[in-house]
Amino acid sequence: MSLLSESSKQQLREALEKGIANDVKLIFFTTKDSPIVIPGRECVTCKDTGELLREISVLSEKIFLDVHDFYEDSDQAAELKIYRIPAVLIEGLARGKVRFFGIPAGLEFPAFLDDLFDVSRGATSLSEDSRESLGTLKKDVHIQVFTTPM
Amino acid sequence: MAVESSRITADVIEIQEFPDLAQRYAVSGVPKIIVDDQIEMIGAQPESSLLAAVLQSGGDDVRVG
Repeated sequence: MSLLSESSKQQLREALEKGIANDVKLIFFTTKDSPIVIPGRECVTCKDTGELLREISVLSEKIFLDVHDFYEDSDQAAELKIYRIPAVLIEGLARGKVRFFGIPAGLEFPAFLDDLFDVSRGATSLSEDSRESLGTLKKDVHIQVFTTPM
Repeated sequence: MAVESSRITADVIEIQEFPDLAQRYAVSGVPKIIVDDQIEMIGAQPESSLLAAVLQSGGDDVRVG
């Protein structure tokens, strides 16, 4: 069953058409849906996150979905420093890394779209002064933003 | 900011799915922003505040403390 209604898909298709400038890849780490629950490997929202990303990706020819099994592709997950799922890395023209952990739905969805657009452009609405300041960073910085879906 | 700087990794974390992180970072209100496990900010932040935190954390060669 589709997560997005037909009217939502139409609105989203138009928003993506306007907002996505260049190709973006959604690198999605998940786990296989299985009737057998392995303790420690439960992922409540992996299935819905995958479905949501699939529905988004078919709405734009500039969005490519790259699905990985977190446990089978553990080397690549470790290389990308992804230690929990569901995880989505938005790859495009961003200089750093933009990642979402947990389903990017509800109140997170607009932020996810904004990041998708920014990564596709390799540009943000930050001021020129801020961008210059960021150029002076001497060490890597990890920003974590904790949110809820509602 | 992660779009603009190769030095930055920005994670958005849905806290209800990861209660261990909620506990570890004592998340009682959202949005809560943590920079390098050192600087905490609660609530939506203006660009200047987040930039100041990022520069404070990543602007020096030697970290004190």
